[in-house]
Amino acid sequence: MKRTILQTSLVLLTIIFLVSQIFAAKVGDPAPLFTGNASNGKTYNLSNLQGKFVVLEWHNQGCPYTEKHYDSGNMQKLQKEWTGKGVEWFTVISSAQGTQGYVSSNDENSYLSKMKAAPTAALLDPSGQIGHMYGAKTTPHMFIINPKGVLIYDGAIDDRPTTDKSDINGAKNYVSLALEEAMSGKPVSTATTRPYGCSVKYSN
Amino acid sequence: MKIQAIQIVRLALILVAVGNPALQALSTAIPHGTVELVAEHNSIQPGNNFQVGLKFQLEKGWHIYWINPGDAGQPPRVTWNLPPGLSAGDILWPYPKALSAFSLVDFGYEDEVLLLVPMQASTSLKPTAQTNLSADIKLIVCQDVCIPGKTSLSLSLPVTAQAPAANTSARVSFESARQKIPKPAPASWKFSVADRKDSFYLNVVVGRPIKEAFFFPLEESQIENATPQKVLPSKSGFAVALKKSRQLTKPIQRLRGVLLLGDKAYNINAPVARTN
Repeated sequence: MKRTILQTSLVLLTIIFLVSQIFAAKVGDPAPLFTGNASNGKTYNLSNLQGKFVVLEWHNQGCPYTEKHYDSGNMQKLQKEWTGKGVEWFTVISSAQGTQGYVSSNDENSYLSKMKAAPTAALLDPSGQIGHMYGAKTTPHMFIINPKGVLIYDGAIDDRPTTDKSDINGAKNYVSLALEEAMSGKPVSTATTRPYGCSVKYSN
Repeated sequence: MKIQAIQIVRLALILVAVGNPALQALSTAIPHGTVELVAEHNSIQPGNNFQVGLKFQLEKGWHIYWINPGDAGQPPRVTWNLPPGLSAGDILWPYPKALSAFSLVDFGYEDEVLLLVPMQASTSLKPTAQTNLSADIKLIVCQDVCIPGKTSLSLSLPVTAQAPAANTSARVSFESARQKIPKPAPASWKFSVADRKDSFYLNVVVGRPIKEAFFFPLEESQIENATPQKVLPSKSGFAVALKKSRQLTKPIQRLRGVLLLGDKAYNINAPVARTN
């Protein structure tokens, strides 16, 4: 019995690995379609969001790089600004159960209200399925999908790879820059950057 | 009798410490470890360049990062505060270890590492009993989780006209640190890189077959750090297949990094040819 479980997990892991190798998102290509369960109880399907800009923000509330952007209010400000302009913003949590950042729906809902965070929703992805589809590596790691469903940005939130809140002022925010350019019909000038942060705590 | 022996040893240690205050650089705490500024010589001579070391000691399981941290993390950042006449160069990074966790790979150091920093000493330095070298360090220390830290270090050394004597207690760690700093490859070796489909093939000719090698990329986001590197031995060397980064959307002109063969590390800077 034990062996069967082990074998099944190995097969599953192999499948996840292969899928992530084949379908890992790439800027300029159609963004991988996903269905995500949110902490608010709703289910979100990327294919239903065509016609809108979508931002994915990988998140781990215990990671000091994430804390930099939440304790300073920077992430909340971006969420408010861009959802106000019609962007669908998803905070995605791929921490496996038992690792840092793993949360229940209730935990996440209290966190969102305590932090006055304003994403469209927070997607709980403890299996890492969405994370592997996009090749999310760090928290934060940001992706932008255009209204045609094409991935147009993959990378860091800004150009200051530190945990210091004092580095936010004056930083070049790649997410805002890409959204501004794409919304005014221009090509995204900086479409990939190295994401910085803590590693995403996948199950392995 | 035993107690006496211990007391003598303690007394001796205290005497060494008191007699040589300059070299008793204090180690300061960082998250899950310590760091100290270590001198290789007991004094500074005007016009005689030297090196100092940042010695990190980490609790088991914790690590800090190489200049290219890989998929996550960040290398330590050092800001020097030096007297006029002294200036610090860039850190001479020893080759790192590939640290695998959560299906990602980082490049860093566990346990203990000495980061050497070249110091330029101007001929105009004036002899003095004590001159103070200090450094502010910001870093992130990670296990499964990461903890940021910062600290200040200092080291006092006399400036004398005489040639400096070696700090014997640091000799071994400086020597072993130097062995881990990547060297230029022998002039007879040949390097080339082929850009073919989803991979780069780093071809190396050394005059004998090589079965094991590892390439640490210096630039971020050129190769997939977590994809196992396949070494293909040939009669006169080998090729190593490096999967291109998903984030790489434009061709690259050169591949730069560190090639590790056994315990010898070499700097690589090879032009990339597209072959398709």
